Amino acid sequence: MSFPKELKYTREHEWVRLEGNTAAIGITSYALEQLGDVVHLDLPKVGETFKAGSTFGSIESTKTVSDLYMPITGKVTEINAAIAKKLEGLSDDPYVAGWLIKISFASNDGELMAPADYQKLIAEEE
Amino acid sequence: MTEIKKTPLHSLHKQLKAKMVNFGGWDMPVQYESVLAEHKYVREHCGIFDVSHMGEIIVEGKDALAYLQGITVNDVSRLELGHGQYSALPTEDAGFIDDLIIYRVGAERYFLCVNASNIEKDFEWLKKHKGEHTVTITNESPMWSQLAVQGPESEEALKAILSPSDQARVADLPYTNITEASFQGKKGFIARTGYTGEKGYEIYIPNAIASSVFAELLEKSNAKPIGLGARDTLRLEACYLLYGNDMDETVSPIEAGIAWAVRFEKGDFLGKAKMEAQKAGTLPARKMVAFKLSEEGIARHGMDVYVGDRKVGVVTSGSVLPTVEGAGGMALIEKDAAALGDDLSIDVRGKRKLAKVVKRPLYSAKVK
Repeated sequence: MSFPKELKYTREHEWVRLEGNTAAIGITSYALEQLGDVVHLDLPKVGETFKAGSTFGSIESTKTVSDLYMPITGKVTEINAAIAKKLEGLSDDPYVAGWLIKISFASNDGELMAPADYQKLIAEEE
Repeated sequence: MTEIKKTPLHSLHKQLKAKMVNFGGWDMPVQYESVLAEHKYVREHCGIFDVSHMGEIIVEGKDALAYLQGITVNDVSRLELGHGQYSALPTEDAGFIDDLIIYRVGAERYFLCVNASNIEKDFEWLKKHKGEHTVTITNESPMWSQLAVQGPESEEALKAILSPSDQARVADLPYTNITEASFQGKKGFIARTGYTGEKGYEIYIPNAIASSVFAELLEKSNAKPIGLGARDTLRLEACYLLYGNDMDETVSPIEAGIAWAVRFEKGDFLGKAKMEAQKAGTLPARKMVAFKLSEEGIARHGMDVYVGDRKVGVVTSGSVLPTVEGAGGMALIEKDAAALGDDLSIDVRGKRKLAKVVKRPLYSAKVK
């Protein structure tokens, strides 16, 4: 498991790569390890807007389904169609090729954590 | 809250780095590597499963046959020595107390393999229905560990740990039959049965040697350990029922699609009249169908099934189907709601997904 320093993290085990008023969003290697084989990904459509904390999609493993939560209130500008077709790529490269959606936002209202704080959180969950 | 139970193989699973889950009160391995990889390995090679949580109950005595005939659906009189059959313990109202396999291991001695979650309930049920019959009923579950060796290479794997004479018995063992065999000098049983849709064996061995037999199989054959995750996707493709998911005391064997194991001609048994009426169509009954999703998504246990806008039933088991490809499962629906090839729509977390009724099983078993 790795947690790149340049990324922010959420309690729902997502990572956020901030670039100005846009962000790429994915799920952490910890979450992927907990899920096991990912077999289905339900992503929103480009142009949809979501409030921070609301559900924007879902990810399913062989046994469970988990909601994906929007980290920051914003609008979907791009979805990763390639990864939805090649789900095994998620755990191979969760932080670069494994991004799920890109969004644009007006202001950053998300409760985001630094890598060290996120690692503390998962240590507590273990 | 009772303490979580562990099989004699528990510490071996930990050593093998299995991910453990609570399965009906038992701390069991859900996967060692990956559910999909393990599923594939069983279809193509051979896997070993710890199924020691399953129950073993012995029924013995001069009235054993007559007694079992009255409380099970299949015809026990057809069992010759060493033969086994799939059956069910029905309620008076034609629901399932449990499904089980009954082996005849002596002239008047029967070995019942029952579901882990139902051991106590079944044992009480069996004692309660003893009546005037001269039989002794013994719950031997705490004594036995059970390993399933499954896959096209299962015969070779099992032979790798057996004596030459036991190897010969395994080679000649027909589907559903059982034989005694010796494991590391201790007496056990080998049954030619399984829950994967592949050729395979279920072996019953004393607890003391369970870990060392499992380890010996891993060492001497190319079998890999397989968790309950793949066990579930394998059995679902083969459309084998899972108690508590596909059926329970509210579903009858006729509805659940095992009418082939219900032998009305054998005489009277619990729930018979209702099952006969369900089969004849004089009493309303649902039916178990297999389905495949026609679009992206996965339908799971408990999701509602529709034909048009009308709710006609519920998904009893659903998952990805790794060998068949796509997603699908089984659903219990109104008898006349849909036939083979018809469309269903399933409410998957608030979204309707199109599905099609397909032939059962989803994967053609290669057990023989």
